[in-house]
Amino acid sequence: MKRLLFLTAAIAAPFVFPTIAQRNLLILIAINVILVASLDLLMGTAGLLSLGHAGFMGIGAYASALLVLHYRLPFPLALAAAAAAGGIAGLFIGYPSLRLRHHYFVLVTFIFGIILTLLFTSLVGITRGPMGLPGIPFAAIGVPGAGRHTFNTFQSKVDYYYLVVVVAAFVLWLRGRLWRGRLGFALVAIREEENLAMAVGIHTHRYKVLAFVVSTAIAGAAGSLYAHYTTFISPEVFTFVDSFNLFVMNMVGGAGTPAGPVVGPLLLTIVRDALRNISPVAAEIAFGVFLIAAIAFLPVGLMGALRRPGVRGG
Amino acid sequence: MDLATILQYLVNGAFASSVYALMALGLTLIFGVMQIADFAQGALYMLGAYVSFYITNRIGLSYFLSIPAAMAGVALIAVLNHFAVYRPLRRAGGATTFVAALGILLILQNAALWAFGAEYRLIRSPFGDGKVTMLGAIITYQQLFIVLVTGGLVLAVWLFLQRTRPGKALRAMSQNRDAAALVGINPDRIAVVTFALAGALAGSAGALVSPLRAFDPHIGALAILKSFAIVIFGGMGSISGALFGALIVGLAETLTAAYVAAEYSDLIAFVLMIIVLFARPQGLRGGAVTP
Repeated sequence: MKRLLFLTAAIAAPFVFPTIAQRNLLILIAINVILVASLDLLMGTAGLLSLGHAGFMGIGAYASALLVLHYRLPFPLALAAAAAAGGIAGLFIGYPSLRLRHHYFVLVTFIFGIILTLLFTSLVGITRGPMGLPGIPFAAIGVPGAGRHTFNTFQSKVDYYYLVVVVAAFVLWLRGRLWRGRLGFALVAIREEENLAMAVGIHTHRYKVLAFVVSTAIAGAAGSLYAHYTTFISPEVFTFVDSFNLFVMNMVGGAGTPAGPVVGPLLLTIVRDALRNISPVAAEIAFGVFLIAAIAFLPVGLMGALRRPGVRGG
Repeated sequence: MDLATILQYLVNGAFASSVYALMALGLTLIFGVMQIADFAQGALYMLGAYVSFYITNRIGLSYFLSIPAAMAGVALIAVLNHFAVYRPLRRAGGATTFVAALGILLILQNAALWAFGAEYRLIRSPFGDGKVTMLGAIITYQQLFIVLVTGGLVLAVWLFLQRTRPGKALRAMSQNRDAAALVGINPDRIAVVTFALAGALAGSAGALVSPLRAFDPHIGALAILKSFAIVIFGGMGSISGALFGALIVGLAETLTAAYVAAEYSDLIAFVLMIIVLFARPQGLRGGAVTP
């Protein structure tokens, strides 16, 4: 029932908010929903958090943009390649670091995110460095028998918005599906008592790596969606501050709650945008104050706080 | 490669290491005592540079006077951070204080942007372009001054931790918080001492390096991230580890810039840190605050 309500709201949104600026915000919110849901896959169950998710998003964005720019790869394949790139990077960094204790894993993701941003900046031959990569083609999907549809986001944002919403809905569904399966139970067991989980025969490391790879693959796909939306990417949109931002969105929404990954991005994206329109410097200061206040007053998140004690909504 | 070239790299590396050493020292002290990864130290470093800039270039007082002023001013802000943010949040642990620290960094960085503007600044060095040539390597007086003052400050911190009562109390608290409280050490007072000390070190780093490197309100972020990498590299809470890490990273950066490419030199600290995390997660010398 609640899910239907969210879906109706998502479908109606571009008509309730028809201006270009509002629709732009809607697309960014939907992309953030994908990213936060991917983060929550780990955070909401095993309590493992990645502080480098913007970096994995960047890998996907650059992979997709470069493949389409240089090799004329069709968009659906580029999207898949972006997910694969994010997933492979996740495997590369997750496999060794998920053997470490929890906070060391967080540190590795954090530092790896910084390394990625620095690489995007210094590999000028590939990424054009701080100048950024302009002229990324719009997404285009060929429908058999019906020709090709190009998502020209400069002309209309509605069609691309729905594309992103479909992906976001799929990711939210996937999160719920994985949580209800073996993977979800294994992750909760890991959070509750990792040694015990291992003792009863759960391959904790394998499950953690699997969840992390899925999470980073989704982040990579989100990067692709972002790149073909704005048609321009540069290292400064994939920094560690952006990673923190995603983490805070998930915390404010409520990690592990069904609606958390929607509520957090919705609230924070709108608030940040509204503040930026007033003054960029004031927006950053307010965001800093907000970070501290969120930790002080809302450690369980908005959706967690709204949930009545003793009643497991779901 | 001749001796002069090698020596020149060592000199440049030692200069880079000095800044990292001062910041990493403060960071490792705070981590050892408070279990907080205090990213706000990056902003304190930046503020130290601005305090020194305004005293030297704008008011026209001596640069040598601006260094203790930067240390005192920044130490005060560090203590204020503690009372305004870290102390109220002391029950929240781990990743959440991490986020709060980033919040402070963003607030101070943007407040500085608003107050001082985004232009690059450079402090007027009292040494001008003066330099000495030693075995073919060129050392500017300012570089020499930075390395000597850093050495002096590190020695002072070491003496403080070894010889004085608050220093010993600080070490006791980092080794075992409960036992320290049990023998009558006031954790609140030690927390203030730790933040003031770390703030003074970050402020001195900003004031020392800014006649050589142009700065703007954004310099703090990368500097603190690198110092953080150094602290993990050396082992969180370890003083010798932080100093050793600073030395290695300073040299490695200089050598990378010379033999690989300048744009990769920023990466070295983080790559070294990742390697250490996998090979020896507790760092080279992990543990409580150990001189």
